[in-house]
Amino acid sequence: MDLHLTSEQTLLRDSAAKFVAAAGPKISREFREHDPSFAPARLRQAGDLGWLGILVPGSMDGLGLGLTELALVLEQTGRGLVCEPIGLAAISAAALGQGRTPHPMLERVMTGAALVVPALQESAHGDEPLEPRTQVAGQDGALRLTGRKMFVCADGADGFLVSASGRDGPTLCYVARDAPGCTLSTTQTVEGRKLATLGLADTPADLIPAHSSSRNAVDALHNLALMALSSELLGVMEKAQEITFDYLRLRKQFGKLIGSFQALQHQAVNIYIRIEAARSLVFQIAANNDPYRIDPALAIAAKAKASEEALVVTQACIQLHGAIGFTDEHDIGLYLKRAMLLSSLFGNAAAQRRRYVAIADLTA
Amino acid sequence: MPWYHTLSRKGWIAPHWPKQYGGMGATLNEQIIMTEELARVGAPHLPVQGLNHIGPILMEFATDAQKAQHLPPIIAGTVIWAQGYSEPGAGSDLASLSTRATLDGDQFVVRGQKIWTTWAHHSDWMFALVRTDPQAQPRQAGISFLLIDLHSPGIRIRPIKTIAGDDEFSEVFFDDVIVPAENLVGKLHDGWRIANALLGHERLGTSNPQFALMAIERIKTMARASGIMADPAFQDRLAAASINVTALSALFSHAVELTNNGQSPGPESSVIKIFASELLQALNELLIEAAGGHATTEKPIATDFGEVDVATPFLQARRVTIYGGSSEIQRNVLARRVLNLPN
Repeated sequence: MDLHLTSEQTLLRDSAAKFVAAAGPKISREFREHDPSFAPARLRQAGDLGWLGILVPGSMDGLGLGLTELALVLEQTGRGLVCEPIGLAAISAAALGQGRTPHPMLERVMTGAALVVPALQESAHGDEPLEPRTQVAGQDGALRLTGRKMFVCADGADGFLVSASGRDGPTLCYVARDAPGCTLSTTQTVEGRKLATLGLADTPADLIPAHSSSRNAVDALHNLALMALSSELLGVMEKAQEITFDYLRLRKQFGKLIGSFQALQHQAVNIYIRIEAARSLVFQIAANNDPYRIDPALAIAAKAKASEEALVVTQACIQLHGAIGFTDEHDIGLYLKRAMLLSSLFGNAAAQRRRYVAIADLTA
Repeated sequence: MPWYHTLSRKGWIAPHWPKQYGGMGATLNEQIIMTEELARVGAPHLPVQGLNHIGPILMEFATDAQKAQHLPPIIAGTVIWAQGYSEPGAGSDLASLSTRATLDGDQFVVRGQKIWTTWAHHSDWMFALVRTDPQAQPRQAGISFLLIDLHSPGIRIRPIKTIAGDDEFSEVFFDDVIVPAENLVGKLHDGWRIANALLGHERLGTSNPQFALMAIERIKTMARASGIMADPAFQDRLAAASINVTALSALFSHAVELTNNGQSPGPESSVIKIFASELLQALNELLIEAAGGHATTEKPIATDFGEVDVATPFLQARRVTIYGGSSEIQRNVLARRVLNLPN
């Protein structure tokens, strides 16, 4: 179903689609196992287009737009398998600009000259984002962090937004990559990019205050990350669907187009329904939530649904391609791998559902 | 019907109808809030054929005289409508229907049989698809949309008992029933187009998240009472189901929003019909799982958390993937008309 968009939103989506047309599987392949695994020049280009400051208020030179606009851009970057971490940079910029005075890194993050990414996860499973084991000590102006963050998209990053537990509960801090006591150990992923474990040993950090409408800065950034990843996952599955349906309209067996077989048609429809449900969910939440105060149960629902469906859909797309879909040479596998990566970040579907039980008060 | 009449007196019976026809002209958000509130208090289901199906169709296709005759009694709840589509030989292949309406001067003579007609034995009127041209090719071009007074001579109605124990539907026999020609809606032989517009409304109406929300409440009550609520495996399934209910609400708002912007719910509405009906079945499977040994108890089960009906809603849920076009037919429609897959 078509979304009901304003003309500004349509323009934004179209300009993102244009940006993405220059990306795609070919470029994404080139950056596999590269360091960094994206083109810094294209990140700056995204900055020039305003997307890295999409949520940042106009008074701080951002676009001052909302979740729908963020989702529209990230849906496109997902479609294009864009390597530049536009979503993570954009939500980090929102956090850097949410205080009364902007963090000194904000300007460079918004232009794409520097990259800051969230570092919120601490284990493979069972994280409670509002109770990080990483500790923050000291006064504002002289904060020190000790702990460990996992699955950080640290490729090319100049700094991190780290969640930590302090005297006043969960606290969001900025840490520079080259700060004393900050170490990174990276792991290669099958997707092509690296994930890092970030070690923090009495590392100096800056406090990132909460936005005036947020309950808590960690909570707000975490929910925003869930929405950003969900939007990108949508794009990944949409493009995989498109490639697969084209194949069904082209490939012949038994003297007929395989898309005319009812068994395959019904599988295609199942893919379509899964995507439409995830898409309605993400865009309804986007339309009805303030980016700095997203209902956590809804953000969790979106990430759970998008993570699950993206894996189901991209796997089904490979099945519908047959043997060619299993080759590295064919692009469809790239979408499965991107879905694997994004689904796992900030908690996969099962992890989201576990949190959902408590947050949506299901057992009461 | 007392609940219907109460809502009707309050003017709340048709929130989605325009004010000029006695509705509330409610905005989308108002409709959804009402839906959720009704689900929360466990309000009884309303007969939907008049409110959701023929009502909107009459507003779109009927003459002023037809509207004046039929819309006010729907709002007042004084006339109940039945839908006459399926026949013994025309189920999924609806266009093969053969109930014949022969135009004779200023009246039709109707002969044939309808089946699976919901609430026919409690209904006063039927909107029916009838064959007015047996030679037409394609067959769809020989079908008309007719309003039939079920109290007319020559009509015989036989209730059919379902696996859920109710006699929700019936078969209806027409033995040379006289129907005034002015009861034709739209043009002669143009009934298929009207029926299709109606199918969109029907798919949307039956996909109202109200039913899924009520099912979740039932599951929660039953799971607390049986103790399975403490089981993490059950919690995971409940979370997945509940997230899908949120997704259904989103799909529904999205579809209603498009409808409010003047787009008729077209073949796209098959998406929500499939999603809602299959979800409702999954929810009812979770319900009997939560009920454990109580699964087959016929009467509502008394628990410390209130009464829960288990076996009946589970059995009733079998029909939702069959009526209004089976899930398989919906998938055929989507594959061809929305995904443009080859024939």
